[in-house]
Amino acid sequence: MKNVIGFILNIDGENTDLRPLLEYRSMSTLPFGGRYRLIDFTLSNMVNSGIKHIGVVGSYKYSSLIDHLGTGKEWSLSRKTQDLSILSGFSSVRYGNSVKISVRDLYYNEMFLNHNPETEDVIISAPNLITSFDFNPAYKIYKTNNADVTMIFKKIRPSYSINKNDVFLDFNRYRISDIHHYDEAHSDYVYADMMIIKKSVLMDLLEKANATGEWDLMDVICDNIDTLRIFGAPHTGYLSRINSMQRYREVNQDLLDFDVMEELFHGEHQIYTKTKDNHPTNYGPDVSVNHSIVGSGCKIEGKINNSVLFRDSKIGKDSHIDNCIIMQHAVIGDHVTLKNVILDKNCTIRDKATLIGTKDAPIILTKGRSL
Amino acid sequence: MNTECVAMLLAGGQGSRLKALTANNAKPAVLFGGKYRIIDFPLSNCMNSNIDVVGVLTQYRPYILNNYIGNGSAWALDKVHGGVRILPPYMGQKGGRWYNGTADAITQNIDFIDRFNPKYVLILSGDHIYKMDYSKMIAYHKSKQADLTIAVREVPWEEASRFGVVVTNDESRIQEFQEKPPEPKSNKASMGIYVFNWPVLKKALIEDAQDPNSENDFGNNVIPALHNENKRIFAYMFSDYWKDVGTIDSYYDANMDLLDESCDFDLTDPNFRIFSNNNSRHPQYIGPNAEVSHSLICDGCVVFGHVEHSILSHDITIGEHTFIKDCIIHTGAVIKDGAHLERCIVGPRGTVDSDTRIVASENDDPSQIQVING
Repeated sequence: MKNVIGFILNIDGENTDLRPLLEYRSMSTLPFGGRYRLIDFTLSNMVNSGIKHIGVVGSYKYSSLIDHLGTGKEWSLSRKTQDLSILSGFSSVRYGNSVKISVRDLYYNEMFLNHNPETEDVIISAPNLITSFDFNPAYKIYKTNNADVTMIFKKIRPSYSINKNDVFLDFNRYRISDIHHYDEAHSDYVYADMMIIKKSVLMDLLEKANATGEWDLMDVICDNIDTLRIFGAPHTGYLSRINSMQRYREVNQDLLDFDVMEELFHGEHQIYTKTKDNHPTNYGPDVSVNHSIVGSGCKIEGKINNSVLFRDSKIGKDSHIDNCIIMQHAVIGDHVTLKNVILDKNCTIRDKATLIGTKDAPIILTKGRSL
Repeated sequence: MNTECVAMLLAGGQGSRLKALTANNAKPAVLFGGKYRIIDFPLSNCMNSNIDVVGVLTQYRPYILNNYIGNGSAWALDKVHGGVRILPPYMGQKGGRWYNGTADAITQNIDFIDRFNPKYVLILSGDHIYKMDYSKMIAYHKSKQADLTIAVREVPWEEASRFGVVVTNDESRIQEFQEKPPEPKSNKASMGIYVFNWPVLKKALIEDAQDPNSENDFGNNVIPALHNENKRIFAYMFSDYWKDVGTIDSYYDANMDLLDESCDFDLTDPNFRIFSNNNSRHPQYIGPNAEVSHSLICDGCVVFGHVEHSILSHDITIGEHTFIKDCIIHTGAVIKDGAHLERCIVGPRGTVDSDTRIVASENDDPSQIQVING
């Protein structure tokens, strides 16, 4: 992975029903799985694959990103060797399909891309991918085929629910022959929002896009599909791309399946995040907790089932938490019943309150609300 | 550069009475309360007392300890001038040798202390669980115009003969020292925490080092010598929570105090935090049939069984149909499906097989703590 740089940028835009949770943050820093932010997965995967220089594009709400990443120390990225660069992003608005890979995010960060003249290849990835992934096998496919672009894809199962932002790939043997959006006929291969691209090809495409006024690198690649050598590399194992509330709930639920938990966290590689120095979680004398993910620093005095509880939350006596996602610093009083509820950070629920949502329509309390 | 007070933390002890827990590890680096290590307490106390130069004297099996302390950033002690410095025994032009007693460890590091030109030196040990604002003790030391101040606490009279006790006058000036006296005249036991005026200590250390009969120990040699010279030695009373964790029983009891709601030792007080140095781990996974109550559990644990009134450190796996009660389990331990453990301490990376059955009521002595090696 020498001479490869990583480039993480928001891919699905923020035009999703996750908006209530994105009011104060970008997709990258959406809390997930009891202690993580979404970007932890992509960033850790790049670091674990041996990529030494990574640029992260912040959207226009990037204070949470800077706060989370700091100098990058927690991902073993060092400031002295400029391993991590936080780059400026450009809000892009377009009607119809949302922009997959904003040309402007790349074009205006040309300085980062060209910083080291020895850089040959760029890995472009979305920040919202929940997976433990090694880029090396894909990079090998890219190299052996002398490809210009290698797109990582996933073969979908019949149960796969298509999202409006999905992009599908058609193959002619191993080469990708077409790239199209969901509303046309779809193939069995969905683009996994990760690609490896030759830097010289990328620069060339960016110039073309700039000349023609194209917004989306995917469109530019599509326009040049006959002249570029575009290959696919399969993603096996667990992958979820969080781009809707439904996916967000599904993937939190998936994590309660121990096999998924093991694949993500007990594999060869670790997923890093910002550490907090919390007291161990305190389970009170009369509690019942099962089938749940619990962060550190919590104080639990009630019953929790089938839920994800983030760090530093308090659950009062005789409270019942069922099918919920409770983000950090929640204070939940005594005798509270919460079912199918998502609490953003710093929410307070008074004693005896009852909130019952449904599986399909969870109740969402935005950051800092009290009830 | 001048620093008012330099802390010197004696962390070289083996702690042999902690048996398996210190087989590969210095006592100050033994885990406590799940995620902490014993040394977190004096280091966090220093941070909370605005003491930002701390020399840590290491000797016995220092690898885990050195690695854990790192650059001190976990306790906000990564200062440009000062911070934490690990001070192992070293070689010089005249040769070198191990630290030979508590006073000798400081004597060998006189140069280190002199670099900061302090007025006071605070001597600490890495054996105790307590929260103390040392700046109050230093203020007391100044107000008494003392040469040496010793922190003391009242112990039950019937236990006083197990301690080094001090006899004080009305002004708290120490009149007499008694080391483990059969008939104690006082129940004020020394806590092993000293504030010295540096010039006084430095002179005493140099004199002590020249005495071939000295054991080079603070309690037995240096302090009695200062007392004989009629130096001003005062006792500083401390009455908050303080536990020695030098034996398996006392270590177990102090851990279990954290589960006792009525015990006024709170490690979550935001105004006086106890910090520790943690790696990033996944959150706790509590399985579908797990039963967890009255316990402290750290990140990286996976629990499928019954856990009651226990303390689980990092990265522990508790299998299905297990029964864990009144236990302390250290990092990386694996308790296999079906095991039954009561009143046990499982050492780091210990493995407990499925057919293990340790039931307190079936033991000859039900209060006995079983230690399962890592």
